[in-house]
Amino acid sequence: MTQRTSLYQKHVDLKAKIVDFAGWDMPVQYTSVKDEVFAVRQKVGVFDVSHMGEFFAEGPDAIAFIDHLVTNNIQEAPMGKAIYSPLCRENGTVIDDLIVYKLAPQRILICVNASNIDKDFTWMKAHVGNFNVKFTNQSNDYSLLALQGPLTEATLRTFIPQLPAMEYYSVWEGECFGKHIILARTGYTGEDGFEIFGGHETVAQLWDSFMKAGVTPCGLASRDVLRLEVCYPLYGHELNDEVTPLDAALGWTVKQGKPAFIGKEALNGYKPRFKLVKLLVEKGIPREGYAVCDAEDNVIGSVTSGTMSVVLNQGVALARIEADKVTAGQKYFIDIRQKKYAATPTSKAFVQGGHK
Amino acid sequence: MSTQIPKNLKYTKEHEWVLIEGDTATIGITDFAQSALGDIVFAEVPDVGTSVSAGATFGVVESIKSVSDLYAPLTGEVIAKNTDVEGSPEKINAGAYEAWLIKVKVKNPGEIAQLLTAEAYDQFCQTSA
Repeated sequence: MTQRTSLYQKHVDLKAKIVDFAGWDMPVQYTSVKDEVFAVRQKVGVFDVSHMGEFFAEGPDAIAFIDHLVTNNIQEAPMGKAIYSPLCRENGTVIDDLIVYKLAPQRILICVNASNIDKDFTWMKAHVGNFNVKFTNQSNDYSLLALQGPLTEATLRTFIPQLPAMEYYSVWEGECFGKHIILARTGYTGEDGFEIFGGHETVAQLWDSFMKAGVTPCGLASRDVLRLEVCYPLYGHELNDEVTPLDAALGWTVKQGKPAFIGKEALNGYKPRFKLVKLLVEKGIPREGYAVCDAEDNVIGSVTSGTMSVVLNQGVALARIEADKVTAGQKYFIDIRQKKYAATPTSKAFVQGGHK
Repeated sequence: MSTQIPKNLKYTKEHEWVLIEGDTATIGITDFAQSALGDIVFAEVPDVGTSVSAGATFGVVESIKSVSDLYAPLTGEVIAKNTDVEGSPEKINAGAYEAWLIKVKVKNPGEIAQLLTAEAYDQFCQTSA
């Protein structure tokens, strides 16, 4: 039995195509993936991402507790900041990637992937130990919208005039329509944008307001293209239970300078088995699972995510390649239906998002 | 959702349409198929001279999110391919019945009787939608 977000009927009424994603009936597209991608790159689009999980750590040790669990530095980040981080096991493999929001000295929000809610919560709860913290899963109490695109701030300000000036990756707890909301300048598209956590009714009211204001409803298909164009990893693709953050180009999120965190010893001096390579394809569309070969036809890795970039009108892929095969002169070929297509590695993201 | 199903064409359960003119079959994908796929961004069909057999794959169309095999409605030899549509696959979304993919010289005319009529295909779409 699949679950439904509080906005499900609104998606049906908008004639969205609904698919099962991580056990949820989610809108995959409303009109056209292309139109939805361009709406976010050029104007403003809104995604219902209420399926994602919300955990709260509250109490004197809230910060210390989360800092102990994740690889990035929560302790040192300023209050009011959002911090992206992997959550790892002792052996360094990735349980999930998540965003930690420092709401107050004794109040932390953690937003996790829908598919990993139970796994994450069980793991994190089991590590409370002697930390003086109340750790709760409030996923069922919150709906979540991601309002994304260059017109996001202006759109939001018409409904939340008291919205303070906010930096990229910061968070604010306030009110909308007289109800409590948490608003973060974060997202998964590379564009400027906000994610809005609130009660189901508040979020439904905001959704309706955005529809009336002409915001484009966007589904999971455009979300995937948008994140892949700017090379953001997705759990289950670039990240999984078998790889470490260092196998997925996330070295910047592992802070060995921290006194202690789960996975620290395993990741200290860890020699990555894989590198994540960004590949542009001249013709053809790379897809997840396609083999990546060198010029001598040896398989050296595989595509973890691939699509047609809507902005570039060209095939793009993230590929997990054996680390020692990623050399300066390496040639890459993607096997698409038994034909080898040349792929060009690139160091920069395929599309430069416009986020602040 | 209303879908266009011209009466003069034959159809398959894999959502291809076939126009029979003498021993030439012109083949494309249906309006129902293009609508289900969404934005079509890639099409690959065999070159002239290739043999295709009824029920076997002969090419692919890809939307942004998915890859779909094309199944030959009839056995025969490819005598023309629509390079225009290979170059601009979005033309399939714009008009599925104008954007033909290949023309095949039919080898076994007996196979034509196996194809669905417009009425039968309409029924099929309604039950599979």
